[in-house]
Amino acid sequence: MLSGTAPAEDLMAYAATMADFATEACALPGAQVLQLMFETAVSGRQTSLPAGLHPTNPPSMVVQAWHCPESPWGTFSLATARVQCRSGLRPRGFVQGCVVDNADAAAALAARWGFPTHVGVVTLDVGYHDTHLVVEVEGARVLDVRALDPIPLGNEDVAFSTTLTLAHTPRGARLVQVDTDLACERAERLVACAPLIDAEAFGLHPSVVVTHPVSASLSRGTLTLQPLRYVCRPDELAFTGTESTQD
Amino acid sequence: MPARALLVTLRVVKFGIFFEMSTPRPFTPEVEGAVLHNALAQARLADQLGFDWVWAVEHHFLEEYSHCSAPEVVLAAVATQTERIRIGHGAVVCVPEMNHPVRVAERCATLDLLSHGRLEVGTARSSTWTELGGFGVDPDQTKKTWDEFVHVLPKLWADGATSYDGHSFSMPERNVLPKPLQKPHPPMWVTVTSPGTELDAADRGLGCLGVAAAGYAEQERRTKEYFRRIEQCDPVSSVVTKEVTTLNFLYCHEDAAVAAKTGMGMVGTFGLANSHLMWTREAYPTQAYQSLGNLAPKTDRSATGSPGDRFGIPEGICVGDPDIIVAALKRWEALGLTGINFLLNCVETIPQEQVLESMRLFAREVMPHFRKGA
Repeated sequence: MLSGTAPAEDLMAYAATMADFATEACALPGAQVLQLMFETAVSGRQTSLPAGLHPTNPPSMVVQAWHCPESPWGTFSLATARVQCRSGLRPRGFVQGCVVDNADAAAALAARWGFPTHVGVVTLDVGYHDTHLVVEVEGARVLDVRALDPIPLGNEDVAFSTTLTLAHTPRGARLVQVDTDLACERAERLVACAPLIDAEAFGLHPSVVVTHPVSASLSRGTLTLQPLRYVCRPDELAFTGTESTQD
Repeated sequence: MPARALLVTLRVVKFGIFFEMSTPRPFTPEVEGAVLHNALAQARLADQLGFDWVWAVEHHFLEEYSHCSAPEVVLAAVATQTERIRIGHGAVVCVPEMNHPVRVAERCATLDLLSHGRLEVGTARSSTWTELGGFGVDPDQTKKTWDEFVHVLPKLWADGATSYDGHSFSMPERNVLPKPLQKPHPPMWVTVTSPGTELDAADRGLGCLGVAAAGYAEQERRTKEYFRRIEQCDPVSSVVTKEVTTLNFLYCHEDAAVAAKTGMGMVGTFGLANSHLMWTREAYPTQAYQSLGNLAPKTDRSATGSPGDRFGIPEGICVGDPDIIVAALKRWEALGLTGINFLLNCVETIPQEQVLESMRLFAREVMPHFRKGA
């Protein structure tokens, strides 16, 4: 089976430094979660992942944006760019870019869950027909994408892959499994439009090239970041490279 | 209609072999050809040994997992190289972007003639975004088009000149030729991955071709419900195929430890290859795909487990010495299944001669326990 070929250090330009692993859950009530999936070029399917992860067929990436009106750090919005993959047998979204519009939230998400956060501007504008996400870093627009024509779905119809971050941890470089549960109260599917994206400026590996929009969804509910349970060595397959945070 | 239906009911559990044509890298013509020719040799041996079915799936773009994109061609070869075994076209993907229903009817009829009336026709709608996305299929439409196909195919086979005005296709009056040898048409099945599809099968009088692992309790529930529902079915034609099969792995060796080591290697490889597929629900939120296929138990948001976990050993797996396999199969038989299909290999992890020897040992030591009256 295919696995990644990128040296872990090449994927750690924006990596967070964690003093320890989060041991308490963090609930974010009233969250809006926009998820957009895109297929990406086959040429980058292995080069954008470390050896410990397997690419999907077809290779794909997900943009996930959260607007969280209530959090321990105040209101914040976040946008992540994730390369979809497998860790062992399990579906995962490997976060390579993460922009947050609240410095306190950015610091906490980096320190406790390993998100590779940049402070920037994240604008999630939800309309009845058109949902518009704009992400800016240091004055430059790194993402501009729309999702159109929402249709209602059941609350369990949207699937979210568990999040992986790659961070400097007390154990060294580790893929950090971030379990994010959404108690969904409302969900819609939308049509994803082709994005304007500066992938590298967003934090994605340069070999990730968006080729084809697949789908979008907008969900609302309470998002909970769970305590961390597992980390993995980035250069080793998960079957042997997984460690419990309790060990 | 149900009272007049011809019930194709066979009470003895039957055994089939099931081809995915999983293929190791690199995908050279030599490697691809070896996989195909190994499969043909397995089909010839299965025919000689008394297996009942040889099934070939239809999949597209599923690197390593399945290179069986032209099963009708493979099965034409099987049909001409075997004499007795039934030929399972399992399953034709019933979405018009992949297969026009007229072409399905024509190909199946031709296969039925080539095999002297040994064809079984499986129907499906595809579970992966890899395939649906590749053909530009709207996942919301596949249940509808599958339903339309299974109702119209019997008419295309049985009637003379036929016109049709439907949801996914229409045609002026034409005579679809040739017609199959089996009258009015070959038995029809539907592949069952997601819980609930067995009810779709039962309601239409179709055989239930299980293609995803279910444990004993889940399989018993599905089987009972299927047999209960099919008694009240509104069949798609006068042929009711009243069968429930499940999919298993087979590796049989005199030494149980050797069997476990070799067979579980195959099982684990299958699990890894399977997990790399992009299931539709993962890519495209829709009520039409409620299951994440074989990944489902591992992707529940509240049960995101350790990535270090290996592929779980399915209940009742047929890997072991003959005694172990007989015991497993007796338990499956007791659930009311009419047949069990076996994957024999995965990306050629088991050398071909060992696969053939496993089949011979199974036929010699296991099959006699399941003959009528055994």
